[in-house]
Amino acid sequence: MTRGPLLYARSRTLPRTVLVLGATTVLAVLGARNLNAYLDPSRQVPVVALAPLFAAAVIGTSLHSASDELDRTAVRPWWRRRLVHLTALTGCAAVLLAATVYGHPSPFGPAAMVRNTLGCAGLGAGAAALLGARLSWLPVFGYVSAVYVGSANARDRLVPVWAWPVQPAGQHTAWVTAAVLLAAGAALYVVRGARPEGRHA
Amino acid sequence: MSTAPYTASRPAPGTPAAAIRIAGLRVRHRRTVALDSVDLDFGTGVHGLLGPNGAGKTSLIRVLATVAEPAGGRVEILGHDIGDHRRRGEVRRHLGYLPQDFGYYPGFTVREFVAYVAWLKEMPADRVPAAVERAVARVGLADRIDAKVRGLSGGMVRRVGIAQAVVNDPQVLLLDEPTAGLDPEQRVEFRELLRELGASSTVVVSTHLVEDVAAACTEVTLVDAGRVAYRGTPASLAALGESAGGPGDHPIERGYTAALRAHRAPDERTEPTARTEPTARTDRPSASGGTTR
Repeated sequence: MTRGPLLYARSRTLPRTVLVLGATTVLAVLGARNLNAYLDPSRQVPVVALAPLFAAAVIGTSLHSASDELDRTAVRPWWRRRLVHLTALTGCAAVLLAATVYGHPSPFGPAAMVRNTLGCAGLGAGAAALLGARLSWLPVFGYVSAVYVGSANARDRLVPVWAWPVQPAGQHTAWVTAAVLLAAGAALYVVRGARPEGRHA
Repeated sequence: MSTAPYTASRPAPGTPAAAIRIAGLRVRHRRTVALDSVDLDFGTGVHGLLGPNGAGKTSLIRVLATVAEPAGGRVEILGHDIGDHRRRGEVRRHLGYLPQDFGYYPGFTVREFVAYVAWLKEMPADRVPAAVERAVARVGLADRIDAKVRGLSGGMVRRVGIAQAVVNDPQVLLLDEPTAGLDPEQRVEFRELLRELGASSTVVVSTHLVEDVAAACTEVTLVDAGRVAYRGTPASLAALGESAGGPGDHPIERGYTAALRAHRAPDERTEPTARTEPTARTDRPSASGGTTR
């Protein structure tokens, strides 16, 4: 096959990325099983915080281009392709992951999952633009892990702002933070692309 | 000395306007100045770009390929100012570029990789398959067209790089060390291809191999420490070598070292270069005018 968009998809390992997103979904389903969340909704927090983290890591690394130097000579500006690439994968991950906790009417249900997926994907895209796609999982992983560990006993007023991945869906401030992260990260990536990782970096 | 080391924009008699016009180009690479106040014109033909490592050859080619931003000056390719982002697409459509090391998705076959670049250049989809086969055949890889690029030898990968650069029949072709890793026979074939391409388009080739310059180039530009040190034909560079007596085993090599020394003469006392042979240091040719501003 030598059709352009198909070659683009392969060069960014999109088929593999979608498969891994599917595997993440399966893991999330397994993780959400037998939690008996109706006894305590917060039992779902690990799934709602960690599954989007995995998804964002997968999406972020898919932004890597092996042929960065040649890509820069493309006739068409890249921003549109980047935007489609990022929104398609993020949307796909959000829908898949939300489905894994569907039917659990809980503050840590589908809405929180969507919020976390969007926020983490934004963080990953921004990291790809600043650090390079192959390392983009690192800030997401570090941040969400730190929040997960550090927010347990935190009590200050700013907790909803920085600990957005572990907030219940009704917490508006957490949505604002996630939205800002998504907008900023996506804008950075769409405008600048992933940071080159070759010798001209 | 008969050969002028460098004249800014040589009038090209009888030829149409140069495909590449560079005026006052200044390029920064990280924190150093890679190129400083470079004025050059390139018309149809094969232009050899010579110079020591770190002289600015790659920086110049990357600016011409529109992948690096100049810090100052003006570059016009095919009549378009490449500082204007809206005109870049039009330039890139007619540009071929072989980077010093180009990356490729490891899963691609030769055919897929070259087709991917054709797609980047927005070639009409119905013309791509034939253009890809022609480009791959031109570099002598027709029998490996469906092999994975990652399974090829270094020289073959280099030829794949040349194939992707010529797939769109570019009017301006920029090749950064295209012959690195090619064996002698492949280099001979490649020079043949260069001459063929240079008949109708503007080809800029950076190289360290004087044989390439002697055999395939119509014009030579020597860059040193971010400035143009010499411009002329391979014959005039060889003649300079003969008259100035620079060290070397090939007339062009002698011309190369002589021109470099003439260019460096003004600041030779401040930075003695390690690569100069001790025997040849005393009888420096009387510089035929440096190119300091």
